[in-house]
Amino acid sequence: MKPVLGLAGLGGFVLLLEMIPRAGLVPSRYLPPAADIAVALVGELADAAFWAALGDTLLGWVLGLAIASVAGVLLGLVIGAVPVLRELTASTVEFLRPIPSVALIPLVVVLYGASLQSKLVLVVYAAFWQMLVQVLHGVRDVDPVADETARVYGLGRASRITHVLWPTALPYVMTGLRLAAAVALILCVTGELVIGAPGLGARIAVAQTSGAIPDLYALIVVTGMLGVAINVGARAVERHALRWHQSVRGEVAV
Amino acid sequence: MRRYLAVALSAAVLAAVTACGGSPAEEPDTGTSGPRPVTVGVIPIVDVAPIYLGKEKGFFSSRGIDLELVTAQGGAAIVPGVLSGDFQFGFSNITSLMIAQTKNVPVRIVANGAASTGEPGKDFGGVAVAKGSSITSAAGLSGRKVAVNTLKNIGDTTVRESVRKAGGDPGTIEFVEIGFPDMPAALESGQVDAAWVVEPQLSAVKAAGGTVIASNFTDTAPNLTIAAYFAGTKLIAEDPALVKNFTEAINESLAYADAHPDEIRTVLSSYTKISEEVRAALILPKWPTEVNRASLETLAALGSTDGIFGGTQPDLGKLLP
Repeated sequence: MKPVLGLAGLGGFVLLLEMIPRAGLVPSRYLPPAADIAVALVGELADAAFWAALGDTLLGWVLGLAIASVAGVLLGLVIGAVPVLRELTASTVEFLRPIPSVALIPLVVVLYGASLQSKLVLVVYAAFWQMLVQVLHGVRDVDPVADETARVYGLGRASRITHVLWPTALPYVMTGLRLAAAVALILCVTGELVIGAPGLGARIAVAQTSGAIPDLYALIVVTGMLGVAINVGARAVERHALRWHQSVRGEVAV
Repeated sequence: MRRYLAVALSAAVLAAVTACGGSPAEEPDTGTSGPRPVTVGVIPIVDVAPIYLGKEKGFFSSRGIDLELVTAQGGAAIVPGVLSGDFQFGFSNITSLMIAQTKNVPVRIVANGAASTGEPGKDFGGVAVAKGSSITSAAGLSGRKVAVNTLKNIGDTTVRESVRKAGGDPGTIEFVEIGFPDMPAALESGQVDAAWVVEPQLSAVKAAGGTVIASNFTDTAPNLTIAAYFAGTKLIAEDPALVKNFTEAINESLAYADAHPDEIRTVLSSYTKISEEVRAALILPKWPTEVNRASLETLAALGSTDGIFGGTQPDLGKLLP
């Protein structure tokens, strides 16, 4: 039932998109009907340059997300486990975290120009905080009784990390990963759009500069679908990694 | 042409980049070991069509240059690329280059880029109003809201000159920064009273019933040079042979482009998404091989009058080849 409703909702949206310009609410010069966008989309799919751009975007996304995740998890575990470090960094993290990644664009342009590195800086900066903050919460969530019990049973530091800390933090890590994956895509496309680094965003910018409005929307649709795919993928990873967790094993309601 | 003008990036940072820029400008090829790879930073607009066509025609490969064209979203991304050595050459509008020069950014023009057609009303850029506007001449822009793609650059200085020459008061114009792609919609929805638009948006505005009320380029100077190809002074000093070959190849491309507008309209499809109808009808710039020095002096004087050089005067001797 659920997927049917979802598809019906999507169908309704497409219908609305078709009707608004047809009814003259918005000039079709600026918002073409869905059918025109679909035609442009087919044209894009037949173009090798489109696939190259998609590859560039995905490369930036996966690299950026990987760097941010590894760094976020490692630093999060270390900072979270050492109270002094946590106190020391708390205000700095809260200061840096809300700075929008796009505010760094002038800086990265000067440093790296229209390149993959520029994009990576933006992606990593945005995705890193998502991971770090979640991991910090996760580490804080460790049940003191469980930790004490592990100590009493003589588990060493390494064992306590793998058996107590990591399982507690993992749901948080997965949430962080899902949030970071979405944010990374946004920043990837934004970086390409604003700076001109190769990828879907740069292609959107070219369509925009050329006044190719249906192509512009077709590419926006592609980024949207990419977002959906990434979210579905992230949820699948989450379900797999947390298959033992009560949030996934719904049957053992506590 | 979108934002190719925003070199207004902090000059201090730029200077820092050049100072520490480990510009790995490869050693010039000593022998005949194959073509030299050269990367040029361009903006995906009509103005740079000759270099795409010249590449296709082999004007670069015949001079031992393996040309790669990298599109960036504006001069703000191209100048740092040239300074850091990622790009050997770049494309920028003249006023942005003058702003860079007044901030002692070490760049110099190596070849002409694009020029006004010199025909009032039939230029590739102009000031347009929406269908049914009461404004009929540049003088009517006094006290109105006018869109330019970048403030304190070639757009507002030349529009002010149009208004000045038409007897209006340029000081009372309210300039608004809007990207070229958004200008047709901004005009139509009445967000601005007029807009300085260039092709292909100029075609879009006209197709929507808009009117060109002033040709700010031709009002500023006859055959105004709008943009140029430039390089870092370091490359010019270290590899004069490469620069000479590049300049010759560009000049051959520009001359060929001017003589073969149909091929230019075709090559546009290779790097833009401008529709076929618009490509067939849009007004192309002129591509003379010489930078029009007199027109640059006019631009420099206008920029100083409008205070966009921070109180100094651009030194054209340091900017021109």
